[in-house]
Amino acid sequence: MKQSKYGLALLLFMAIPPMASVLESIMIMHMHMQMPLLVISGFLMAPFFQSKLPKFFAKWNEDGIPGILLFTLVMVYWMIPKTMDDALTTTSVELFKFISLPFLAGVPLRDSWNKIGSGSKKIVFIVFTALFYVMGFLYIKAPIQLCNNYLLIDQITLGWGYMTMAICFSIYLIYLAFIDKQESPIQL
Amino acid sequence: MNSTAIKEKKIKGSLKEKSQKLMGIGPEDAKLTKSYMAVAFIALLIGGALGLLQGLERAGLLQLPHWFNYYQVLTAHGVLLVLVLTAFFTIGYFYAGLSHTLGGLLPQVRKMAWIGFWMKVVGLVFAVVPIIQNKASVLYTFYPPMAASPYFYIGLALIVIGVWMCAFGAFINIAKWRKQNPGKHIPIFAFFATGVFVLLFFGSIGVTIEVLTLIAWSFGWKATVNVLLSRTLFWSFGHTLVNIWYMTAISAWYVIVPKIIGGRRFSDTLTRVVIILLVISNIPGGFHHQIVDPGMSQTLKFLHLFMSLSIGFPSLMTAFACVYVFEKTGRKLGGKGLFGWLKKLPWGDVRFLAPMIAMIAFIPAGAGGIAQTSNQLNQVVHNTLWVVGHFHLTVGTSVILTFFGISYWLIPYISKRVLTPRMNKVGIVQTIIWTLGMLFMSGAMHWVGLLGSPRRTSYTTYGNNATALGWDPYLIFLAVGGTLLIIGVLIQVFAVFHMMFFAPKGETEFPIAEAEEPEEKTPMWTDRWGLWIVIMLIVVSMGYVVPVVDLIVNAPPGSPPFITW
Ligand code: HEM
Ligand SMILES: [Cu+2]
Repeated sequence: MKQSKYGLALLLFMAIPPMASVLESIMIMHMHMQMPLLVISGFLMAPFFQSKLPKFFAKWNEDGIPGILLFTLVMVYWMIPKTMDDALTTTSVELFKFISLPFLAGVPLRDSWNKIGSGSKKIVFIVFTALFYVMGFLYIKAPIQLCNNYLLIDQITLGWGYMTMAICFSIYLIYLAFIDKQESPIQL
Repeated sequence: MNSTAIKEKKIKGSLKEKSQKLMGIGPEDAKLTKSYMAVAFIALLIGGALGLLQGLERAGLLQLPHWFNYYQVLTAHGVLLVLVLTAFFTIGYFYAGLSHTLGGLLPQVRKMAWIGFWMKVVGLVFAVVPIIQNKASVLYTFYPPMAASPYFYIGLALIVIGVWMCAFGAFINIAKWRKQNPGKHIPIFAFFATGVFVLLFFGSIGVTIEVLTLIAWSFGWKATVNVLLSRTLFWSFGHTLVNIWYMTAISAWYVIVPKIIGGRRFSDTLTRVVIILLVISNIPGGFHHQIVDPGMSQTLKFLHLFMSLSIGFPSLMTAFACVYVFEKTGRKLGGKGLFGWLKKLPWGDVRFLAPMIAMIAFIPAGAGGIAQTSNQLNQVVHNTLWVVGHFHLTVGTSVILTFFGISYWLIPYISKRVLTPRMNKVGIVQTIIWTLGMLFMSGAMHWVGLLGSPRRTSYTTYGNNATALGWDPYLIFLAVGGTLLIIGVLIQVFAVFHMMFFAPKGETEFPIAEAEEPEEKTPMWTDRWGLWIVIMLIVVSMGYVVPVVDLIVNAPPGSPPFITW
């Protein structure tokens, strides 16, 4: 339960207006720092909800697939350039970001991760790796500003951020594929 | 693989290890390390002599001739001591340790290490010839737009590839051992080696890209070069190199020194965590060498202050671990009271004294480093002799004295000879001379740096400017320290070659301490190097993507080559 408190503290800390505006002032920090940290805060808070609502999770997320789909959906939604713009200009969207990433992405991720099999884990990992390559390519190659609020250079930087992450994920996948499974069972 | 096969392999593996531990190092592995050590200490001899020339010249006591000028000497001093001595020592030391803890090197790994050896030696010749011809007086950091002869850069590239051969050799040997020992932890010494070689490989990718660009540029195939990007790539390596030395030194502090004082080493799990943290958090720290570079934003500098200071955490843990082990061992030996345990430590044993002074030197050295990494304080000391004082304390004392201390058991170990009480005395004298010499030299450098005396500048009074004249007394101290140090160098080189070829025959052990609680179960996740490497790469991208994209996309016109000397 301690973890849940840390998660809540992290969420509140991220929500302090100066903190939010610092992280949102740079595109790559907005997408690759603030958003993942919000997901992590939800991930940490998950045990609280799991213990309070065990029936709910058992009923709606029996095999973990609905949860992981919800997680993926929310993540993909926030990768769209337009949504970042909206978060910066419309308060209700900003609020939705602070709710959806922790509670609709972080919490279901934690609940699902141990329920889905290692095959599904691999699929999720591969899907996100591919998605990161695509996003990287998009942000690097787009000749025009995709967000009203960020400059072209910010966009290219974010693109390279995606590319390098995708490369790191690929290396990890290759590593998992090649090491002796007997010594280190796959536990992503 | 079925379980009987695993068992068989296990038995075979452990038999081989046991025989290795009883019989000492095999002659082929010994020859490899001997060769690395010989090059390292010859580099110390030549580099040290050049250091003395510099010290005398800076004090105005000696005028170097135009055919052998200050900047040539300084370039050679930097390359020989900072690249050659440390790289050869580190590789020789870890390969001996891998051979010892993993039951001998695999034949193909030994071959790789030899290929690496010769690539480095050939690379060194390529680099040194232009320096002697005064065609590469670019100092060991070779910042563009100063352009050296292309052969200088080709030499550097060969050295790096030679190092990579050794890194991959180590990985292969460790991987093979893990296959043969399923379910067992990588032995702690090999764990240190893994960390060091991971950093050596990944830390030198950036500088390799830089050097390849500079080769094309100095040949004239490429008209201009991006200066700031080159500096950034250089420091991604330079800074990592510093931590490679540090990790090599602390491998001895954590694993070897406790055995020498008759104690046990610090918690196995925490030791491994320190290594992992050092590997993960290291590379982006390089920006603290560019605090006053133009074109780096304030935010960036602030973020990198954080990166630099985060390395302070494992350092503090190391300090804690060392003192903890010393106190525990001292008390076990009967030390009483608050500090009585200190007296029980074997101060008369050079294998303890040298690394102990090295650790003590790291206290002011680390404090100075924290000061330097702060933007405002850095403005005061940037490019002054303070900085030179700082790294003679860190590398020149903390790291090098640890290496010297190691040599008093490692050289006998690989030569199947013993450390005699007389040689131990020689070592004690050497350690004291080195300590005094560095106290004088580094102390004077720090002080005169605060007064504004620049680094990398041959003797000048700036037309008898009063401020510049005020530096002279301190520079004399610098020369005194340098003179003591060269005596130290001579004794050390004598000791190394004496122990290698003339000391009495006998068996010397490779001192590896037992873990504090041998039954304590170290969690298996510590061994997941693939994961640590990926996390390291993610941290590297977090640190470098923003500035590097900015440096490339918003670059000013590049610079053609200049020969400024
Ligand atoms: C006999 C012992 C030594 C003496 C007398 C000595 C002396 C000096 C002096 C006078 C300088 C030049 C300062 C300047 O003009 O900027 C210098 C630079 C330097 N020394 Fe040493 N040093 C010694 C040992 C070492 C050792 C053991 C190391 C490292 C392992 C080392 C690494 C360096 C480096 C990296 C530089 C900077 C070169 C540059 O700025 O390009 N020195 N040393
Ligand atoms: Cu550094």
